[in-house]
Amino acid sequence: LNAAPGRAPRQQVRFLPAPAPGGGGAVELVAARVPVLADHPLVRGPRFKKLKIGAGHRLDVKASGVFVLGIGHGNKLLTDLYNCHLTKVYTVGGLFGKATDDFSDTGNLVEKTTFDHITREKLERILAVIQGTNQKALLMYSNVDMKTQEAYELAVKGLIRPMGKSPPIITAVRCLQFALPEFQLEIHCLHETQQYLRKMVHEIGLELKSSAVCTHVRRIRDGVFTVDDALPRTQWNLQGIQEAIRNCQLKVETELEKTL
Amino acid sequence: RRALGGAAGPPSTRQRREAEEAAPVFQYAGKAAKRKDRVFVWGFSYSGALGVPSFVRPDASWKKPRRIQATPYRLETEEKISSAACGYGFTLLASSTRDITKVWGMGLNKDSQLGFQRSRRDQTKGYEYVLEPSPIPLPLEKPQQTRVLQVSCGRAHSLVLTDSEGVFTMGNNSYGQCGRKVVEDEIYSESHLIHQLKEFDSRVVQVVCGQDHSLFRTKKGTVYACGWGADGQTGLGHYNITSVPTKLHGDIAGVNIIQVSSYGDCCLAVSDEGEVFGWGNSEYLQLASVTESTQVNVPRHLPFKIGKVKEAACGGTGNLVLTEEGNVFVWGYGILGKGPNLTETAVPEMIPPSLFGWSDFNPDIRVAHVRCGLSQFAALTNRGELFVWGKNLRGCLGTGRMEDQYFPWRVTVPGEVVDVACGVDHMVSMVRSF
Repeated sequence: LNAAPGRAPRQQVRFLPAPAPGGGGAVELVAARVPVLADHPLVRGPRFKKLKIGAGHRLDVKASGVFVLGIGHGNKLLTDLYNCHLTKVYTVGGLFGKATDDFSDTGNLVEKTTFDHITREKLERILAVIQGTNQKALLMYSNVDMKTQEAYELAVKGLIRPMGKSPPIITAVRCLQFALPEFQLEIHCLHETQQYLRKMVHEIGLELKSSAVCTHVRRIRDGVFTVDDALPRTQWNLQGIQEAIRNCQLKVETELEKTL
Repeated sequence: RRALGGAAGPPSTRQRREAEEAAPVFQYAGKAAKRKDRVFVWGFSYSGALGVPSFVRPDASWKKPRRIQATPYRLETEEKISSAACGYGFTLLASSTRDITKVWGMGLNKDSQLGFQRSRRDQTKGYEYVLEPSPIPLPLEKPQQTRVLQVSCGRAHSLVLTDSEGVFTMGNNSYGQCGRKVVEDEIYSESHLIHQLKEFDSRVVQVVCGQDHSLFRTKKGTVYACGWGADGQTGLGHYNITSVPTKLHGDIAGVNIIQVSSYGDCCLAVSDEGEVFGWGNSEYLQLASVTESTQVNVPRHLPFKIGKVKEAACGGTGNLVLTEEGNVFVWGYGILGKGPNLTETAVPEMIPPSLFGWSDFNPDIRVAHVRCGLSQFAALTNRGELFVWGKNLRGCLGTGRMEDQYFPWRVTVPGEVVDVACGVDHMVSMVRSF
């Protein structure tokens, strides 16, 4: 970054003595544009000594996926994005038949159960109930008075969302794959942690009268940033980062304008 | 000194895997696990209509009586309940079994709407309030063959429909709503009288109780009525009481009616072609689309252009219809379900399907059934979710809150809701467990 051509040095107007035309002796003041010596790169040193990088929503060690970072002035945009309360989308993979103490497949085994009675229909029924109860929580934590006409209108459009602190809420769940004993879900949620998603997989197992552990959690969308915008490890260099910032700038601005 | 036994410490991956494979496997539900049928009740409990005696008379002295049960509470029943009906402070539960006891009742019994319930303290008297589901003795000719198809409850009377022995009526008969001649100064409490009605042109397939009148729908598609008629709710062309079930004419003569509904003083009927007919009280604009008068005593066709109607439900002041596409239309007066601004309309207004859970994520959610209480509405979706809205009288909506609900709100029930019956201040639902 420091090698890139920096800002041109500031110019200032100074009156400099210059020899007057026609004979020596008298000195005249002539205005001339002269670069300010304080801006010279040799005086100031490299432009960037350290960079402030801020992180967006947390992603814990065992999970993977989209992770939003803000650099320098972008940190202010990070707080604005946090206040937008946009949903995040995860793909969660689970395995029936086991229950562990930390709800993932690397924990200590607690119990093993049978799972051959589970069908895709039963799983989808449980997912419908989860969506229903979370819908109620969505309306309750959105701090809108239920008796007003605007509450009704927001509920019709589906725009009611908690705009403050709230416990984790799941707005939509869908079963992507189902092959006993494995299954994969797509979850849209707000204010959650990855451990909460693993706990939910465990609870789905309990509801189906069996047990389940979570094999992997992957965030595929965080507000406006999707997996397509995310930079893979091979592109963690200056050009990649600059291009990514340029591509996302427009999207971030429109989203912030829409919500705030 | 050497440590005794093997080396302790965190087990390696291979040891852990072996330990896991050796662990015992528990079975909680086999492949043929059946889904159980349950009954959930909620609402005002002091009348005994919820059937849980510990709400009214707690079994321990330190417990306080529960006046209102605001969220669904499971009711233990001996048999699988196939039909339930809520009246004004009492409930009837019926099972389609061949055993001798087919119908249970609980709640108010001051007019013997639950039959005669012999008091255990004094064998000559009967109970005025029945706190637990108690069997109702029906005078059947073949008690071990007849099945009860459906029950219905009004303000102070009830109807029981059987498959081969007609309709049994009990309760208050001061307006002839039980289908028998009105006896002056008859005392209805502690009465053993249960009347049987058999004279219809064909087998009765649906019985509906209004506030003080009764409607019978037969297999041929005709409708009979008896009871109070001052608002024209008997639809017989006059405003007097009728004590014998009489056939209705008017706009429904010759039309094959597939469903009738009533709870207050207004009645709605749906024909097989999806047309809606109404008669009775119209003080709340229920029939204002065809007439300005406030009482209509002859069935009139309601020309709504909303599509083919599948089911109708009539409440005290508002009406609800469900079309074939799964849309819900509401009209009348009261909390209609479209926010606090819409309190009365004479023309049906559609409730947006997004309020019932429809979205781009779930595009195949449809409303399957609609039911009405006196000032509440209930809708069941095809996924088994129950939505309620309306006046929350003594917690009857089951949402857990005491405030009125101005748009459809989910009721959290642990299971798939199969059917729901709405009363004035309580509701009963039949639920299948997951």
